Amino acid sequence: MKRLILLGVLAFGLLASAQDITWMSTQFTPIAEGEFVRNQILAPFAEETGISVELLNVEYAEFAARIEAEYQAGAGEIAVLCGLHGDLAPFAYALADVSGITPGGTIGSALMSKGYMAGKQVYIPLMQATYLMVVNVKAMAYLPVGACPWALTYDDLLAWARNIYEATGEQKLGIPAGPRSLLHRFIHGYLYPSFTGYQVLAFDSAAAVDMWNYMQELWQYVNPAAPTWDAMDTPLLAEEVWIAWDHTARVKEAIVQRPNDFIAIPSPAGPAGRGFISVLAGLAIPETSPDPDAAAQLIQYLTTPEVQVKILEGVGFFPVVAEAAGAVPAGALQVLATGVSAQAASPDAIVCFIPGGISDEYKKIYRDTFHKFVIQGEPVDAAYLREQATRLRELYLEAGVAYPAPDGS
Amino acid sequence: MSYRYLLRQTLIYLAILTLALWVLIPIFLIGISAFTPRQELYMWPKSVIPSHFSLDTMRFFLGAHGVVRSLLNSVQVALLTLAFTLAVGAPAGYAVARFFFRGREAFRLGILITRMFPTALLAVPLAVTFIRWGLYDTLLGVALIHTAMALPFAVIITTGIFMGVPKDLEEAAMTLGCSRFGAFARVALPLALPGLAAAAMFTFVISWNEVFAAAILTVRNRTLPAHIITTIQASPLDFRFAGGFFMILPALLFMFLIRRYLFHMWGGATAER
Amino acid sequence: MNERVRKVLGTDTLLPYWLLLPTLAFIGVFFLMPLFKAISLAFYGEDGFTLAYFQKMVSDVRFFDALKFTFLFAVTIVPLQVVTALAMALLLNSGVRGSRFFLYIFALPLGISDLAAGLIWLSVFTHRGFLNSALYALGVIERPIHYLSYQNINFTFLSVVVAEHWRATAIVMVILVAGLQMISKDYLEVAEVLGARGWKKIWYVVLPLLKPSLQSALIIRTIFALQTFAVVLALAGQITPVLAGEAYFWQFLYRNPNVASAYAVLLMVIAIGMTWIYLRYLKSRVEVIRG
Repeated sequence: MKRLILLGVLAFGLLASAQDITWMSTQFTPIAEGEFVRNQILAPFAEETGISVELLNVEYAEFAARIEAEYQAGAGEIAVLCGLHGDLAPFAYALADVSGITPGGTIGSALMSKGYMAGKQVYIPLMQATYLMVVNVKAMAYLPVGACPWALTYDDLLAWARNIYEATGEQKLGIPAGPRSLLHRFIHGYLYPSFTGYQVLAFDSAAAVDMWNYMQELWQYVNPAAPTWDAMDTPLLAEEVWIAWDHTARVKEAIVQRPNDFIAIPSPAGPAGRGFISVLAGLAIPETSPDPDAAAQLIQYLTTPEVQVKILEGVGFFPVVAEAAGAVPAGALQVLATGVSAQAASPDAIVCFIPGGISDEYKKIYRDTFHKFVIQGEPVDAAYLREQATRLRELYLEAGVAYPAPDGS
Repeated sequence: MSYRYLLRQTLIYLAILTLALWVLIPIFLIGISAFTPRQELYMWPKSVIPSHFSLDTMRFFLGAHGVVRSLLNSVQVALLTLAFTLAVGAPAGYAVARFFFRGREAFRLGILITRMFPTALLAVPLAVTFIRWGLYDTLLGVALIHTAMALPFAVIITTGIFMGVPKDLEEAAMTLGCSRFGAFARVALPLALPGLAAAAMFTFVISWNEVFAAAILTVRNRTLPAHIITTIQASPLDFRFAGGFFMILPALLFMFLIRRYLFHMWGGATAER
Repeated sequence: MNERVRKVLGTDTLLPYWLLLPTLAFIGVFFLMPLFKAISLAFYGEDGFTLAYFQKMVSDVRFFDALKFTFLFAVTIVPLQVVTALAMALLLNSGVRGSRFFLYIFALPLGISDLAAGLIWLSVFTHRGFLNSALYALGVIERPIHYLSYQNINFTFLSVVVAEHWRATAIVMVILVAGLQMISKDYLEVAEVLGARGWKKIWYVVLPLLKPSLQSALIIRTIFALQTFAVVLALAGQITPVLAGEAYFWQFLYRNPNVASAYAVLLMVIAIGMTWIYLRYLKSRVEVIRG
């Protein structure tokens, strides 16, 4: 199958003259990752097909502004896009139907269906990731008796952080709470499902009140600089924290630099289970793409098993094609992969997906609640929770979108 | 030389040195950090001088795709902006300084208003306009927008400067046979040079550091900030320092070259002391 | 030119208008349409004219903090900078040897973008940064202090003030230096002859003549101060929210351009107000006479 595609691509490449397309992506932004993709993935692609791809790294603000602007103007320079599900979903109206493109490997329907919305296949999945905990081996000495790091509970976590604090006098627990951090993911995709079983439905339940009380207690042992952190790799490397929670790509640097100092473990479980998020990144073609054919070729190339494994090596995101799963190289990535698999395979797992298609204000609702009860330390107020829950439900109603897993199907 | 005079000089020097240290130390820190080996950046306590200097980060950074090219693009854009802004803004400043016409106050306030709105929020409408006009992804387009952004400030500065140039001198020149333009070019302009140099420095720096408009309006012909801001913010600490330091170097260089014009008049005044 | 035209325009000639035309054209062509569109977003929703976005803005949990901190920063930083810049400019003007060199040094931060400045000062104030390292090495502290944290909000505020002061004083200084250059030596000599020396000379002669430059500098610096949030963001995250930062987040993070626009309009109104105050109260002699 892959050979056929290659032949077809080669033939096409020989017939067509050298092409030049621009690939706008919110992923691969760290310098090392960008260079890796350009040198190890795009350069061979150019040799094979004669299509030279210019990777344009942008942050979400520019990504959104540019798609909107090119759509409004009816013309643009961007040929192909890469973004997270949440980056692409709001722009379904500006993206072409890519159901005609056959990926370079087998992508399961569970993932493919995530990219289907507004009556068309908006994106083809490219890679996936999750959020978990990374622990400095120095912290292991303070693990509470009877707690297993591969199956921690939130109570265990509290006891662990307290042990460290009582022994060293320092708050060595870290959760990124900076403005560009992924704190909201922690709240809606990890805390809420673990304590209440749902991301949205039980926002103002009694279990939620317990959860917020728990967080107030836990926060005493969190490093006070947390509200300035957007990512946890630097604090881990600087040993400002010994236990951290963050996205696999935002802790990867720490493990890559010192693979013997850290281990990656599943996020903790709460009374309702072990909630965690599965993140999906995909490839899309804007309606205003100047070269949809070349874009399609790139998409096919990027979803071949070989390239998928390369992406894992260089970027720390995991493959989506069946043929590539399990082909993880030893070393730092092995550390990460072990944690990811353990998390995915936990018996009490509650898999959550990131809310899509609604106004991003939901992030603010979760974060404001966190700010009020945890950072400002105000007493947990059920009335406030009800207010926020109402607003949250309104957002889904306004957009006419169902609740994400595990709340809805 | 009196004792009092010596004391005064010493105190002045002390004050100047203190202020100079205040300015220099942070720059020194980022410069050092850009050449510190990666592991040492995370050490505690941080030492001011690293154990050895490492060119690795800088080298990788400079070799990374598009960095040097975007540097050249930024230079072009900044110089174009400089030319446009001074050519358009200086006469405007002169007009406001010399003439009391209807709408003078409205004009002064009006042009400032465009700068009171955060540029980031104007990104989409600007980009749409530029695409339609064929200015998308061109350095000229960015220079034009930067000019529009720098003009209000250039006009304020030059207004203030020209107001300080005594009208009598120009009038004297005109009675001696100069045209209005001649008086402007031969009398007002040279006297206003320090102010124009200040405006020039300002404009260059505004254009050089501007990131929002430059980012949305360029795809392949990126300016330096547009190109590296996203990547260095997502990268580990050593790249952030390298990138940060690299961004400030050219501006420092430009200012070094321009500083002469700021002191145009000083030569005469300080010669005797 | 006939009387009628002169009366209408208030001047003898069309020249000023010709000189202004290019500037107006530039700004009008590039900014007016996008600006108009963006501002209208704050007032017009799907159902027409509405103040709902302003209501939403005001009832936001961070709004009053953002308002408070925006003002606090502006009121703390700007006067501090003007005094420092004035001191720098006067010191350099006193004619000591090497003034040129020091002028260059003092102006260096001008070339440093607010993002780079945020980075530099973060590395100083962060928990394991340079400041704590220095204090620790000197034996002043035993354990690193958390300067940038919610518990230490005053210190966080101070560190932003310090960083912004460091970064932006050069802007004010350069304008003031240029202005000082313009003060004719004759005025100063006459003043000395009449008995005004040292501080008196500065207060009664130099400062009033410096008004136009002071005015320019204050306007420019205030407008910038209201808009920049990069340094605040780098050092304090949202511990000390500011209006410009909130506008940015509403636009790009929460994707609600209407509320973002409401914040921006509020900022504009504040900026217009302050500029008007400067223009009115810092008129140069010439303008005062003209009325």
